[in-house]
Amino acid sequence: MLDRLWFLIPEFILLAGAMVCAIGGISTFAPIRKRVGFIASIFLVIALFSVPYVYGQTDYTHPETMLPGLGKYIKMMAAFVGLLLVATSGGLIDRGYERAIGAGKDRFDPLRANSGEFHALLLLSLTGVMLICEARDLIWLFLALELVSLPTYVMVAISRWSKTAQEAAMKYFFLGALSAALMLYGFALLYVSTGTLVLQEITEAFSAQQNNGGLLVIAQVGMLLAIFGLLYKIAAAPMHLYAPDVYQGAASAVTAFLAFVPKTAGMIAIILLLSTVGWEDGLPPAIEMALWVVAVLTMILGNIGALLQRSVKRMLGYSSIAHSGYMLIGVIAGPELGLPAVLVYLFIYGITNTAAFATLASLSRGGKRVDSLEDIAGLYTTSPLAAASMSVASGSLLGIPPLFGFWGKLLLFAAGIAAGQISLIIVAAVSSAISAWYYLRLIGLSLLSNPHNHGERTKVTLRWPLAVAVVGACISIAGPLVLEGVMVDAKEAITLPESELAMSLPSLEVDDERE
Amino acid sequence: MISIMQSIIATPAGQIDQLVDIVAPTWAQFILWMPLISLVLCGLCAALKVKTKAPAIITVISLATSFVLTLMLYFGYEGAEVIHIFEWIHVHWNGGSFISDFALYIDKLTLLWMLFVTGLGTLIAVYASEYMEHDVGKGYARFFAGVSVFLFAMSCLVMGDNLLMLYLGWEGVGFASYWLIGYFYQRPAAVAAAKKAFIVNRIGDLGLALAIYLIWSTFGTIQYDGISTALAAHNNDAATFSAFGGWTVHAIPYLLMLAAFGKSAQLPLYVWLPDAMEGPTPVSALIHAATMVTAGVYLIARTYPLFQLDDYALPIVAWVGGLTALFAATIGMAQYDIKRIMAYSTVSQLGYMFLGLGVLSSYGAAYHVFTHAFFKAVLFLTCGAIMHGFAGQLDLRKLSGLRKMRGWKIVSYTMLVGCLCLAGFPFTSGYFSKDAILAEAFVTQGSGFEILGWLAIFTAGLTAYYTFRVWFRVCCGPEYYEPGDELHGDDPSSFHPHPPRVAINFVLIAIASGAIIAALPYFMDNETKGINGGWVAEMVHDSPARGGVPNAVVAVVDGEHATAHEGVANAVVDQDHATHGSILGMDPHKAMYYISGVVGMIGLGFAFFFHLARRKAADSLRNKLLASRFTRWLPIAMENKWYVDEFYIAVIRTPLWILGKLFALIDRGIIDGLLVNGIAGTPRAIAKWFSPLHNGAVQSYAVSMIGGAALVILLMMFMPEIMSFLQSTMIGATP
Repeated sequence: MLDRLWFLIPEFILLAGAMVCAIGGISTFAPIRKRVGFIASIFLVIALFSVPYVYGQTDYTHPETMLPGLGKYIKMMAAFVGLLLVATSGGLIDRGYERAIGAGKDRFDPLRANSGEFHALLLLSLTGVMLICEARDLIWLFLALELVSLPTYVMVAISRWSKTAQEAAMKYFFLGALSAALMLYGFALLYVSTGTLVLQEITEAFSAQQNNGGLLVIAQVGMLLAIFGLLYKIAAAPMHLYAPDVYQGAASAVTAFLAFVPKTAGMIAIILLLSTVGWEDGLPPAIEMALWVVAVLTMILGNIGALLQRSVKRMLGYSSIAHSGYMLIGVIAGPELGLPAVLVYLFIYGITNTAAFATLASLSRGGKRVDSLEDIAGLYTTSPLAAASMSVASGSLLGIPPLFGFWGKLLLFAAGIAAGQISLIIVAAVSSAISAWYYLRLIGLSLLSNPHNHGERTKVTLRWPLAVAVVGACISIAGPLVLEGVMVDAKEAITLPESELAMSLPSLEVDDERE
Repeated sequence: MISIMQSIIATPAGQIDQLVDIVAPTWAQFILWMPLISLVLCGLCAALKVKTKAPAIITVISLATSFVLTLMLYFGYEGAEVIHIFEWIHVHWNGGSFISDFALYIDKLTLLWMLFVTGLGTLIAVYASEYMEHDVGKGYARFFAGVSVFLFAMSCLVMGDNLLMLYLGWEGVGFASYWLIGYFYQRPAAVAAAKKAFIVNRIGDLGLALAIYLIWSTFGTIQYDGISTALAAHNNDAATFSAFGGWTVHAIPYLLMLAAFGKSAQLPLYVWLPDAMEGPTPVSALIHAATMVTAGVYLIARTYPLFQLDDYALPIVAWVGGLTALFAATIGMAQYDIKRIMAYSTVSQLGYMFLGLGVLSSYGAAYHVFTHAFFKAVLFLTCGAIMHGFAGQLDLRKLSGLRKMRGWKIVSYTMLVGCLCLAGFPFTSGYFSKDAILAEAFVTQGSGFEILGWLAIFTAGLTAYYTFRVWFRVCCGPEYYEPGDELHGDDPSSFHPHPPRVAINFVLIAIASGAIIAALPYFMDNETKGINGGWVAEMVHDSPARGGVPNAVVAVVDGEHATAHEGVANAVVDQDHATHGSILGMDPHKAMYYISGVVGMIGLGFAFFFHLARRKAADSLRNKLLASRFTRWLPIAMENKWYVDEFYIAVIRTPLWILGKLFALIDRGIIDGLLVNGIAGTPRAIAKWFSPLHNGAVQSYAVSMIGGAALVILLMMFMPEIMSFLQSTMIGATP
């Protein structure tokens, strides 16, 4: 028991942070209220640094989880990108309200202040991501996933006092509930087919079934239903429909959060579920075919959907759907090359996508949030920094060499080819080429085109998101220098307990050959 | 496939911090970095719109530092060595690798080149600080940034330890040349000249790129050390190479040759160099006379052993060089623009250098590069001073008696020094270096080298003529001038020439002294016994230009005639070269002193007669030639540069242009119109088709989601049943 608790230390830190933020946010002392985001960041930093310490201790063994190494990578990634996300939402919540209080026009009312709740929910959602890694049974997995999702519904709702945000929150909640039901149904069928909820026991039951001539149909249906429920989290077809509406409706900072945190959670959950079946003899054909269809549909629908959008956020929403499709290639490809590639890609995608949304979050035009393509036309004239980081982020998302995104895509595609999924890679390459249209349009509009004459110019009004955008752009450029390290970490994270084969990493021993 | 990808992925991290094997002096790399630092600072000056001479000061100081470091490297030299800076490109895959480190290879050939590159670079930067002063605050920083780029690239080219470094430098100097020729970008002629230089050079660059690839595929390495090891293992013999190299060892020298001909302006790719004179004069002096254009000579000298693998490679180099020398000299004779005359003279002298390489006198070629760098630099710089002082006037018919004008004495006499050297006047540096080449043309036998030798001697006479045509016209005779058209707002009637001031005069004297002193190395003792030719010969001796392995060719290259006379010839490669030729029954080395001296004097005499004693005679001769139907083609063709540019335009440019237009039509009509727009339109059409799906109603989303999931799951679960059902219906339908 103590062993299990030991590895939950980062989660406890974030939980404590959530409590402090929730209380700090309704403090009558204005400086504390205004610095809730800063407090949240401190807890995230502590959590970030606690992870290597916690996983560095050899006194505790890590029992019963499917992928014992996964936690270290995911928790560090979640805490790091979480920091960027907290900074992205800097100045988002309660800005006008606090200003009114400061000017003496309004009085402080704990019921109207949202900052504390927002940050507490943000930390709770990140805690959920971390908890997924430690899931030993389906109940835990389900609860952790809901811990990721539930706060995001509220975050969407309180991020903007507009009809669209409320509508987005409503849709997100309804459809989220639907997908959770689907997933739970799947879990129930898995229980029916194996008689247990513990993942390792499910694994054993599955291998017994495999030896008896293949998985039971009910197990396959259960697995597929569970995966389809999870596809909602990663916004993959056909469960992607909510994404453009919700991404557009929420404030940019929250959209950045939605595009990363639930997606990471869903990805890890899918990997955990599939690892019960195992990739050694190939996934069961039905599951592999379903994933193939989903990946192809997701890539094509995501990239084609983005083409006609006039709203940048909607466009990036579709683009994030397409990125889920790319990551599914890695999931299909399996643990040796594919899953590490997925983890690396999640990291790269998290940073560059956050940078893109953070640029949007930092801008405003005539007091309104920036959304349409016209708004960012000629951005370089008013803010070269924002234009540059927008361009770098788009370039990285598109995968222009030598930016970070290129290496992520290369790893995924290489894994796909190694797994023999040539048709999948062709679809990925073609849809990736299609995506060049809208990413290059973002770059071209912000760097080359002239500002629209009518109306006010787009300006940078929030500094913190801009800082995040610049940091994200810098990482996109300098990231390839640390790529090898990230790859090694990702390889370590994916270590299936049974198959020691996955440990041998032929590709990374280039260094030894070099001598 | 995958492992290749992974090794590519593994490399960008590029362990820069792993500075392994530091044995050689690490400070030597600052010869390379100083110009780069200067570039950054000049760029900052440009960005901050500095209105002082700071860019010039920065550049001069950094180049001078490079020069001092080169001197230190020279005096501390103990043997060829590699200075490793960082790992650049390491790609490994199963059973192969491509390695190119960012490393320097220092041997005496490198040092010889670096000494005059950095030395002259510094002096010419000083000169330019005054010459370019009318641009202070405008293009001043841009100019010196260009000079810094050039010096950095040239250092890479000369000091790199592998062919990829050389290629980096090769492209870098090409780019710097483009940058600086097009410096006056408001002038269409300058822009056109810059483009021409760049595009013509691309042809040569293609050769170099292919050669590097073939060298790598043949020898498995592109490092000089590795290539010489591979060559030594095969006894430097084409026959044994064909075992694993096949045709490639024969293709490599020709591709390298193409590259060298492009960069060093030889037939048929010389056309860019005369036009390159559109750049500021210091650039012409530094890049297009002294340093960059000798890169081709350097390339061949550096890869000399590879040229000896093919029987016809070096003779072709010799013939191209000899013919270029003659051809360019005839054009130079008939030009009126003194800078252009110097440009054609550069092409002609480069021809001599290639002749030297071709007839196995790599020492002569290197020595001529060395002396030419000085005397041609001083000639260009005096032309620049005249241009600067007379508002852009360069026509030798409109300038006269400069020697007697106030403040122009130094220019006149330093120009005289340059002219004497170029004309090969006895006991000047140019005399010794040209003689070394001419004599070797008679010593080395085969492939009509003797005819080539006589052609070269004839060319030497022409050289003396056109050189002194300039000096007698411009510096002697009655005082007379017409200002040029770059008056900067001055009134032509009240125009006064402004003679050069301290910086230009100082540099002129310094480089002219250098041109005189450059004769000394010929007499300097050298440590290695048995080679004549003095200091330069020793510098060349200790490099691949001598030949990496002992063979008959090398014996002659060194001038080790003692062994050659005795018939001790390791006649594996080329038996012809082992025997010692003669000229008119005399030893060429001695005879050439007299022959070239006399020929030079004859040319000088003609120049004296036509351009100083009786200037009218020159015009009347021209009129007589034009009057006769049989001879009129000669002056017209020569004045119009033999219509080579027009020929290229008609034969190469126009057809390509038409082809380009045709392709553009096809591209716009068929490829863009039908294919690209068609392909691009499809996703948009699909997108439009799918957009009703996104109608915003939560119910329809829910139905789509569940319906989609159900569809996929059902399909997957009942796949076998569906397949068998389909099969059965198909079978049922067929009979």
